[in-house]
Amino acid sequence: MTDAQILILMSTLSTGLILGAIFALVAAGVTIVYGCVWLPNASNGQFFLLASLAAWTFTASFGWTSAAAAVGVLVLGTALAYLLEWTLIRRLYDTPNRNVAYFVVTLGLTQIMTGMFSLTYAKWSDQFTLPPIVEGITMFGPFPMPNNRLFVMGVSLLVLVLLFVLLRYHPYGRALRAVFQNREAAALRGVNVRAIYRLSFVLGSVIIFLGGILFALAYSYDLTVAWTMSITAFAIMIIGGPGSVVGALVIGMTFGFTQAIVSIFASPTAATFSYLGAMLLILLFRPSGLFKR
Amino acid sequence: MLGRPLEFIVTDNQTKSDQALAASRNLDINDKVLALSGPTSSDVALAMYGYAEQQKLPFLVPVAAFPQLTKPGTRYTFRIEPDAAGWGYAMAKYIEQIKPGAKVALMHSDAALMRAIMAGFRYQAPRSKLNIVADIMFPQGSSDATVQAAQVRAAAPDYVIVSGAGAFDNVLTNQLLDLGIKPQQIIHPYGITTQVFGWGQRSVGSIYGTFFDVGLDSVTKEGKDFIARFDAAHGRPPSYVENYCYVTPYIFKEAIEAAGTGDDREKLRNALSALNTKEKTTGVPIVFDKNGARKEYMYFQEIVSVNGKRSYQSKQRFYIEWDPEVIPVYDLVK
Repeated sequence: MTDAQILILMSTLSTGLILGAIFALVAAGVTIVYGCVWLPNASNGQFFLLASLAAWTFTASFGWTSAAAAVGVLVLGTALAYLLEWTLIRRLYDTPNRNVAYFVVTLGLTQIMTGMFSLTYAKWSDQFTLPPIVEGITMFGPFPMPNNRLFVMGVSLLVLVLLFVLLRYHPYGRALRAVFQNREAAALRGVNVRAIYRLSFVLGSVIIFLGGILFALAYSYDLTVAWTMSITAFAIMIIGGPGSVVGALVIGMTFGFTQAIVSIFASPTAATFSYLGAMLLILLFRPSGLFKR
Repeated sequence: MLGRPLEFIVTDNQTKSDQALAASRNLDINDKVLALSGPTSSDVALAMYGYAEQQKLPFLVPVAAFPQLTKPGTRYTFRIEPDAAGWGYAMAKYIEQIKPGAKVALMHSDAALMRAIMAGFRYQAPRSKLNIVADIMFPQGSSDATVQAAQVRAAAPDYVIVSGAGAFDNVLTNQLLDLGIKPQQIIHPYGITTQVFGWGQRSVGSIYGTFFDVGLDSVTKEGKDFIARFDAAHGRPPSYVENYCYVTPYIFKEAIEAAGTGDDREKLRNALSALNTKEKTTGVPIVFDKNGARKEYMYFQEIVSVNGKRSYQSKQRFYIEWDPEVIPVYDLVK
């Protein structure tokens, strides 16, 4: 293999892994909320963008380090998620066909947040990025990999593993899966369903916030990333199976690698919609997704 | 001037075509202006173009590079900035001069401006005996070019032309540098002050095209004064965008004096069409062709040093002038 071939191979691998890990993380956040609360959060892309823009503000305007900004955003994001649940989300817990109601409500949130971003951030800059948390590069043969991207990939995968362990082995995770499967039966077994809803909404939202921060650390982005990420997360959830973290990981990685490979053999433009074609194809044959929750 | 001050009525078009059109109508009908000027966006300029041509209202455009703004048959619109396809032509001529037969890679955004620049370059490249070894276009909103930078590196080009939209330009540049492409191999079709700051010290040695720059050899005394005053007011040197806005009133002044009246639009249009003058800041000729396109020119500057976001130094490497229709500019970009 020539150096040129190794260079392209390694760049494809690294892009696929990092993109895939971030896609999977955000989709896991979306799928936990949908699978448990039956809340298709149309504003997940705006949550993602909000976190990355807030982190950018802390670094660019207040001079914080990216690590401090990330912690700050996660703390504020947790509080915001609780506030949203308390003021808005819980009011619809017992509504018949609440998934439709939630979709409409979160679409409204999307419109409001989009307008706010356009009035503020769109006027300040056309693209944003965070300073690296980890400096330097690591050479993989002829391919230089920024350590910051390795860090982003590591954190994304670690959080996914922790999430999997939490849902599989922790009492909260068991309760959450019980509510996934049958709300009434879980309640009869003593599970506090409303508390599980609240925890799931907060956990899912914080994971989306974390995804936004990690993306901003690895890439530059503009305001359109919200729409792209929203569609991508929904597509991963639908194909992976609502409520399945493993499905989110596998399909997220598939999407990441699809995008990296298509951008080589076709074009970066084709790569941006290639995996959505794959989604339509899979749904033709497996409408309920590839993985069971 | 002819016993009256030259008055500018300023209206914010919010860089929106519909706002610009409404403002043009208002300035025409209610304020009865002698001429329109001002947009710094091709989309906005194109919206005003139709109105100006229809109403026979002279329209002097300082900054808008989309070629069709001076398409054949244009009578009342005059453009100060060279058209974008011409920038591509100029780049090919520059590379032809520094390395005949060079291998060139293109990495650019799919924004209209970049597409027009690349169309000009692709047309001229074979005529300048240049070999395009990679040609990669990114959709707007792109945030990463790791794979494409590796592809370009693997193609072993002599030069890479980089033109991303907004800060994505920095991403492209940095990822190429990360992979071992030397700054001297990177050419940006155009550079304004904030972009040079964004490229930063690691881009010292790279080249960018421009129409006005603090590092030009030909800056006049008035140009130096303009740079000093602008710098004092804004904390950074001006770019070609600000320069074009600065020279616009001078062009109006000369044309109105040549027309001999400040009230007749047709006479002003004829005076603009016959104008043969020079930019006060650089001495570059200002002459419009039959369609209102300017006799075009371009500088290529090498970055010598970048001092944070405050100042930079550049060195003039190349200067070229050409007739707007030396390439079929209006067929290349519709």
